[in-house]
Amino acid sequence: MMRTVEVLIVIIIISGAFVSASYFAVLPWPRQVSPVNLRRLSWTTIETLDSNYDLSRAAFATNNATEWNSLQVSLSASLPPNVLYNLTVYDVSNEANGGSLYVPEASISNAETLGITSDASSYLVASSNVTFNVTPEKIGENGGGAITLYILNCSDANGWWITGYTSQSLAQDLYNLLSPYFVQTVVIQSTSQLGQILNGTALQGENVQNAVIINTCGEAVPIPSGYYSSSGVGYDSPNNSYARYAYVLGQKVLQYNWTWVSICGYPLYYVSNAGLFPSNQNTWGIYGMQLVGAAGFNAFLQGVSGSGYSYNGTWITSDLSNSGPVYLTSSVIDYCNYYGIYPSIYQTATRALPESIINSNHLNVTTYVFNTATGGWDAGAIYRHMVTVNGTMQFEGGFYALGLTRTPDIRLTALGLLCDYKPRIFPSNYDSEGNSRLVVLQLGLVGGV
Amino acid sequence: MSVIIFLAALLLFVSLFSQTVQTAILYQQHRATATKCSDLIDNMLLNPGSPSSWGQTSTAPTEFGLQDPEFTEYQLSPFSLMRVSSPAGEHVFYKQPSATYVGAVAGLNNNLFIPATEAVNYSAALKLLGINNTYGFELSLSPVVTVSVSETKAANPLTLSLSVTGTGFPLSYATISYCLIRVALPTTDANYPAYTMQDNITTVDQSGSTQIQFPNVTDANQCYAFVAYAYLGGLLGVGYHERVSSTSEYVTPLIQDIQSQKVLLAHSFDLNSSGPTGASLKYNATFALLTEDYTLRELPLNASNDLSKVGIVTSGVGNPDVTLTLPSNVGILIVTYAKDQFDGGIMLMPWGVSSTGFSVSFGGNSQSQEWVATDIRQVTINHVSYQAKLALWSYSGQQVIS
Repeated sequence: MMRTVEVLIVIIIISGAFVSASYFAVLPWPRQVSPVNLRRLSWTTIETLDSNYDLSRAAFATNNATEWNSLQVSLSASLPPNVLYNLTVYDVSNEANGGSLYVPEASISNAETLGITSDASSYLVASSNVTFNVTPEKIGENGGGAITLYILNCSDANGWWITGYTSQSLAQDLYNLLSPYFVQTVVIQSTSQLGQILNGTALQGENVQNAVIINTCGEAVPIPSGYYSSSGVGYDSPNNSYARYAYVLGQKVLQYNWTWVSICGYPLYYVSNAGLFPSNQNTWGIYGMQLVGAAGFNAFLQGVSGSGYSYNGTWITSDLSNSGPVYLTSSVIDYCNYYGIYPSIYQTATRALPESIINSNHLNVTTYVFNTATGGWDAGAIYRHMVTVNGTMQFEGGFYALGLTRTPDIRLTALGLLCDYKPRIFPSNYDSEGNSRLVVLQLGLVGGV
Repeated sequence: MSVIIFLAALLLFVSLFSQTVQTAILYQQHRATATKCSDLIDNMLLNPGSPSSWGQTSTAPTEFGLQDPEFTEYQLSPFSLMRVSSPAGEHVFYKQPSATYVGAVAGLNNNLFIPATEAVNYSAALKLLGINNTYGFELSLSPVVTVSVSETKAANPLTLSLSVTGTGFPLSYATISYCLIRVALPTTDANYPAYTMQDNITTVDQSGSTQIQFPNVTDANQCYAFVAYAYLGGLLGVGYHERVSSTSEYVTPLIQDIQSQKVLLAHSFDLNSSGPTGASLKYNATFALLTEDYTLRELPLNASNDLSKVGIVTSGVGNPDVTLTLPSNVGILIVTYAKDQFDGGIMLMPWGVSSTGFSVSFGGNSQSQEWVATDIRQVTINHVSYQAKLALWSYSGQQVIS
């Protein structure tokens, strides 16, 4: 009898526990199990509506019935029929204590309520008459010393493979693109001024050491008359070649820790000075220029690596055009967005450098602008010469060679340098009073469950 | 006796709670699938893949993603989407058995064919996404704005009816920018087919409808293609319609190599060996891109800056292939063709899926799955508004309790 009572008690306890647990263990509704991500849907809808600036325009035209009707039609058309929405525009104003005050300006909705559950996204739009400014960081100003940008704009030198441009127009574009990022930008106006900085003499009180020098003459390089073109210095008499000038340039790059930039083609393939070569032409009818050939860049590498000079006319670049274009590296593509410079992501390379020059000249590639092509060819990269000082490895001298075919896209030159030095940019605030409005799109689903 | 009572009680306890616990576990598994679905769609749409330009190369991607590498957020690459093979895509053999092409996307005439060797298939995408054998998915991208075009009168004047609707509502008072491409068939043996382009702008009414008349079309057999762009408040949609007089013989563009942008013009008899050799069609090909004001502008197809290229396509293995090199811009390849002075037509091939508003479907079949989680996003593909929908299911042994 006692056992039967015990069994009954146990059954009652268990049944009671089950009923209690079932009562409190509320399972989620099917919609909660597999919800549409309303927040993401809301965000992507706002982005779509503003893809052509229409949403921003409507947000600042709350009294314009046509704009708001269009916005409501677009919103209704873009969302599935079972989605309820409420779009509200808030004016953003600044309070005296520095906080932001959001005042509702206008609202549209397709339902009185948004159901039991809803989610929202917000989006800050700017007035079309707002100008956003960015403040670039000056390269080297936060350590490492101020870096000077030299742009060769020598009026007495001609360019080659810069078809469609002049050195002067390229120099102007480079100045506009890069000067905000450098402490000082000096435009070299003549070959004699080039000779001055080769001597280590500042032109405008700038820092000559660690500078970046961009040669806007393409495959040609300006050569000063006088010392730097004299026999045994810039002129190799036994071989009747100005390759020795390229060797001197390499030595100077090493001595002053410069970064030499070649914007297209075969680097240092010609030397140019209208006064020095008045009756010489580059074999293609451009006077004031003298062919150096492949020996120029080979001599430059000897100079950068600290080797002795020996004439070497071996062609070392490769034409990659038959195997298709070369593509910017993913890192450089990312920086396109950061710096707002958008060259085409693929280019034609006909003067790509071999990877073998890295080891043979004690170089290190600090930035690959283009992906290395099959066979080990680099169409654009920044090379730096490595030296060991007191047991510590450091860079002394470097160059940026863009082995692309003519016509040069000068944005690639600017982008490569920015990717290598990585100066930061500091944008201005977006919440300036009267110029920003907050758009909130709240979405819900039809039905209760 | 106590042990027996204890065991009986335990058995009763387990049996009572097992169903509740099983249901709860099932809910948890479904919830995990839904969360994975939301993550996966963002992973696909917010990532360009690797290499980021894989949509414009012939190499297989090592990471799957559809974002346009030149943009941020939910802007997708029109070229990457060309390389994913649609489950409904038709397979054709060109000059069998030398090359196989697969219909990349499902659309009118299904006339976007890519080499089967360059198509990214479902199983490869599963592996690249790291969900092989654990989840299956079906990704569909359909235009938010549907522009339906139908012919209500064949000539005198040619009258076309347009209906513009969004996902949930008509696109009232949307602006329509349209282009009628009329084909002029050759009148002599020395001539090739030609075309004229006629642009204009109109507006639809409150119900999203309008009619457009072309009084200068007086021949009911006039071949033409009509392309319309509808836009309002940030939304852009595309629709098109075409009329041809030669349906047995026609020219079909086949993308020969995406990376080099080469397109093969194939005689219809060379597709799946469907006809005799030696049949010839004259063609006139041009390329047009959509400008900022939603009009079509022609681009040169070759180095001589000619806006069009003419020639003859002849069926048969021994006859030379006709290839074109397209620009890198997103646009439409327009090919007019003629069998004789009476029969001919026009074929449009999108270069980038958004050009003619193709829908894209990629992945497995969600219809046959037991439990499917879905999530949606609004995206743009080269300014055209699309809705991306991902259906995801799990292979980890879920069961439904009856």
